[in-house]
Amino acid sequence: MSRKLTRSLLYWLFLSPLVVVILFPFGVMFVTAIRPRDEIFTYPPTWGFSEFRWTNFSEMWVKTNFGGALMNSIYVSVLATAIALLLAIPAAYAMSRYRFAGKGLYRNFLLMTQMMSPIVLVLGLFRLMMAMGLVNDLNSLVVTYAAFNLAFTIWMLQSYFNSIPRDLEEAAWIDGASHLTSLVRIFLPLAVPAMVVAAIFTFINSWNEFVLALTLMRSSEDFTLPVQIYAQVAGRYQVEWHHVMAGTVLATVPVAIVFSWLQRYLIRGMALGAVK
Amino acid sequence: MQKSIPLLMIVPSLLMAMAIIGYPILDLAWTSSQEVSRFGKLTGFAGWENFAEVFGDQLFWDSLWRTGIWTFFVVVGTLAVSLPVAIILNDDFYGRGLARVIIMLPWSVSLTMTAVVWRWALNGRAGLLNATLMDIGIIDQPVEWLATASTAFVVEILVGILVSIPFTTTILLGGLSAMPQDTYEAAMVDGASGWHQFRYITLPLMKPFINIAIVLNVIYVFNSLPIIWVMTEGGPANGTDILVTYLYKLAFRFGQLGKAAAISLIMFGVLLVFTLLYVALVSRGEEDAAPEDEKEA
Repeated sequence: MSRKLTRSLLYWLFLSPLVVVILFPFGVMFVTAIRPRDEIFTYPPTWGFSEFRWTNFSEMWVKTNFGGALMNSIYVSVLATAIALLLAIPAAYAMSRYRFAGKGLYRNFLLMTQMMSPIVLVLGLFRLMMAMGLVNDLNSLVVTYAAFNLAFTIWMLQSYFNSIPRDLEEAAWIDGASHLTSLVRIFLPLAVPAMVVAAIFTFINSWNEFVLALTLMRSSEDFTLPVQIYAQVAGRYQVEWHHVMAGTVLATVPVAIVFSWLQRYLIRGMALGAVK
Repeated sequence: MQKSIPLLMIVPSLLMAMAIIGYPILDLAWTSSQEVSRFGKLTGFAGWENFAEVFGDQLFWDSLWRTGIWTFFVVVGTLAVSLPVAIILNDDFYGRGLARVIIMLPWSVSLTMTAVVWRWALNGRAGLLNATLMDIGIIDQPVEWLATASTAFVVEILVGILVSIPFTTTILLGGLSAMPQDTYEAAMVDGASGWHQFRYITLPLMKPFINIAIVLNVIYVFNSLPIIWVMTEGGPANGTDILVTYLYKLAFRFGQLGKAAAISLIMFGVLLVFTLLYVALVSRGEEDAAPEDEKEA
């Protein structure tokens, strides 16, 4: 028992510098978000401050149109996730249950799309959306996010589908159920956990995306959260740092909590999707 | 009819990926061969002129060089931190759950937000990094971290490492948890020390996972815009520009679409090489794993 204790102390000692560096930005965020405005540019710089100014949050909400950006982010992330799932479920089912010509080819194609980052394609995408009149339209983000998250979603679902025994569906067929009925009533309910996890990861990816949102959304009422917060920092002579940090706290903390709760599923999904 | 069912199930996702990811590549290829007016209008065929212009541009070569440095140091630094961290997290100790949650935390925060927070933390006058370092007595004057390109670039590389650790640790943890326990027990019986276990058992068995982590990180880091864009926008005086930031400026600030498209295509080529490398690594891993399945059956 005491061996485990010494080992634990040693490990924590080794991890402590990293832990400090990881938690440092969170500390910066909170401490700046809640201090009074005139204590932000003090000299010499200090962590201390005189009082908790919670009104910074409500002030920021009104002044920076945080609510609008929040709604945009929710709209884009929810719809992108829904579309990605809707397209990925049949594809993953086919990959998991059928043998067909071109399956390996499709797998590699998905891998390619997974590796393509939006930044390499951003000019082409911008011209595409321009031609379709979708610049400054949140739906352009919906489709692009859905497309960029397809590969990962399909993999994750496929690896889970593989673990659902075929016998269940076959038994349903023998009992006279059509393929469609067995799919909807037997298979899909069993696959709900995997769909939830895949959905949440697509949601977080869409929530955090920057390059495409920065490029395709040109007017401030269409900004999603990352762009809205960036816009308060970039190219401004005077930055209201307490508002910016209050914004990052609100945009970050809920996602971080959900993520912390889900990270073990991610380890599994990675091992199945990316590594194998 | 039966045969077409799986194809029908795949077609919607295929069309979507083709339209959003496939088509822009064709459009980039087209744009890169066009002459572009000052207002961003394509005015006619230019052949290889855009590529020639890119290759004759000193800023391109500087950015390419910096992209190499950026990618190399972020990937190597990340691996150097993540490997011991993954080994620790794979072991049993008090508070492991908490340690895992903390180390994965940067992953959940968007790169943009992280970069915005660091930009403020590094502020030359009132930044809290200066406050901290002055409190412990490492510096006695605030430092303007982002004002000179060389310091800014180093700081950006460090932030890049920090945000890449969770993903890399995850992959390595996946590898470690699949490690056969009896090999260690046998080694322990034979009296192998901790270092020898690491050197002759862990490291060789981990090699495929390390390779995959390296290739995936190269792809992601090579492509990463937000950290540098938010912290310095490639400045001061183009001193922290890498290919992606340079490309973005060309396309959306200076309207040099032809040149930007040419750089995009060059980057696409590099990515293609690394993706093929990744496919080769993964399929080699699958071949290695195949006999296992046969044994079971």
